[in-house]
Amino acid sequence: MSDIVNTTTTERPDALRAVPVRHPGRWVATAVILVLVAMFAHMVLTNDAFQWGFMAKNAFAGPVLEGARNTVLLTVVSMAIGIAMGVILAIMRSSTNPILASIAWVYIWFFRAVPRVVLLVLFGNLGILYARFEIGIPFDWLIADLLNIDLSGRFFGFDARTLISGFVAATLGLALSEAAYMAEIVRAGMQSIPQGQVDAAESLGMSRSLTLRRIILPQAMRVIIPPTGNETIAMIKDTALVAYVPAYELWFQLQGIGSRTFQVFPMLVAACLWYLALTSVLMVVQHFIERHFTKGSRTDSARLRLARGGAGGA
Amino acid sequence: MDVGIPSTAGPMVKAEGVHKRFGRHEVLKGVNLEVATGEVCCVIGPSGSGKSTFLRCINHLEKIDNGRLWVDGQLVGYVQRGEKLYERKPRDVAAQRREIGMVFQQFNLFPHMTALENVMEAPVRVRRETRATAREHGVRLLDRVGLASHLDKYPTQLSGGQQQRVAIARALAMRPKLMLFDEPTSALDPELVGEVLDVMRQLALDGMTMVVVTHEMGFARDVGDTVVFMDDGAVIESGNPQDVLANPRHERTRAFLQRVLSPTPKPS
Ligand SMILES: Nc1ncnc2c1ncn2[C@@H]1O[C@H](COP(=O)(O)OP(=O)(O)OP(=O)(O)O)[C@@H](O)[C@H]1O
Ligand SMILES: [Mg+2]
Repeated sequence: MSDIVNTTTTERPDALRAVPVRHPGRWVATAVILVLVAMFAHMVLTNDAFQWGFMAKNAFAGPVLEGARNTVLLTVVSMAIGIAMGVILAIMRSSTNPILASIAWVYIWFFRAVPRVVLLVLFGNLGILYARFEIGIPFDWLIADLLNIDLSGRFFGFDARTLISGFVAATLGLALSEAAYMAEIVRAGMQSIPQGQVDAAESLGMSRSLTLRRIILPQAMRVIIPPTGNETIAMIKDTALVAYVPAYELWFQLQGIGSRTFQVFPMLVAACLWYLALTSVLMVVQHFIERHFTKGSRTDSARLRLARGGAGGA
Repeated sequence: MDVGIPSTAGPMVKAEGVHKRFGRHEVLKGVNLEVATGEVCCVIGPSGSGKSTFLRCINHLEKIDNGRLWVDGQLVGYVQRGEKLYERKPRDVAAQRREIGMVFQQFNLFPHMTALENVMEAPVRVRRETRATAREHGVRLLDRVGLASHLDKYPTQLSGGQQQRVAIARALAMRPKLMLFDEPTSALDPELVGEVLDVMRQLALDGMTMVVVTHEMGFARDVGDTVVFMDDGAVIESGNPQDVLANPRHERTRAFLQRVLSPTPKPS
């Protein structure tokens, strides 16, 4: 086979020489955009409100760095929990067990309906609902009343405020709401796999869970990853909502500096730059994950062929 | 090739009054069929007559609604205790299925795995073979179907005929005692049909019990021990290929054969 390819490359006729199509529209558009960019840059550099020096000094202040760390931590932890729960919910939702399927449905319905801010404030104030969280026999006081005995069915407990700190409340709120969205994304991914794949796996004697783990999910990943990247980017930014809980993440700290020093605008710019940087790192990571999961797909073979140098390689 | 040793001398497949409904649409209306061990049974019939559905019932990809279906003396998907029929647990159904290989019209290879990984997957995960054993067996099978030089290619990098041969190797890797083929060459370009039929012919010579749904009348005539004609959810006629294909007893068989055997005018 390689012989054929070689002969065709060596005996290839002289490269075609043709005048490429001209694109005058592109030059006009480029000129217009360059002028606009220059005007914008001029405005940004000369307008006093930007206070570039002030921004540069405060954008990396101690509390801001701590806030950035918390933002990353919040994003990673709540996405990890959200994805794990999302996969479980998606599997429950497509289960043949009607009870599991409806539990998943109700969960998704609820957590997609309630705005994240509301959810976060709610979790931040759980301490109002219960002063303590205790683990023990459910309804123990009812049982004690019923049997007329003195029963303490509590094994151990926590103060609500120590268990649900601002950070935990924020993570919980974000993760639970994320799980609902991830469940829908994972379910769409699983539905994109043709039934023939399941037939083939089952005809080989593979169990439902093995089929899911080895055949369906790895293929669904290709469909799942791009929207998950979107979700993660949205999550980085939604951590700013946590300022209401409150937890000391990036936005809370930058805003704090801004209002303390009455230099609101530079800190807004700093916030933009911070989120831009975090999101860009994430996009690079996503690129590599996507590449891993397109193994064997059509786009992947096309890429391989291109890398090997043109349409000749087979 | 390795051919599983059947546990009893009885028929490999036995169907008695098999019924199957999809909603209110009755697709199988009492199929009766016997396939002896070592026999190649070719199933022919018009589109929509229920051939695929019947094949999928044999390995319980579809649940039957009525009748009885045995593979190698065991009821498929059910156990009988006294008069009562009990559904088998999913893991028991899976255990039954690994003894039955299936090859699909659309190949259904796992696109995220190479040819060799496709073949090794079930032996490693289901039969719990070591990777080394599965690999050695997989390479041998792929060599037998003429794909020794394509072990590490992904399905999209293979032609249809090559993909279907990988699919056959993948089914054989589970050392099945029965192979089901659902129109294995219908999705192939005409010039690729031969290579797949050759592999199947060799498999038949090695003594594998096979049920083959096909439109390849030549294959049915030369390789089939019996030919079964299905129409409208039932077996109309069966017998040895010469009788059924050359001297069909039933009018419907005759009409069907006339349609498929007479060369259709090619659209220009
Ligand atoms: N999962 C399903 N749900 C509903 N109807 C189905 C399903 N599978 C098959 N059918 C119907 O059952 C009938 C028989 O289908 P089947 O695929 O068994 O026919 P076939 O003989 O294999 O035809 P072909 O030669 O076209 O493959 C068809 O009318 C089809 O529409
Ligand atoms: Mg069919």
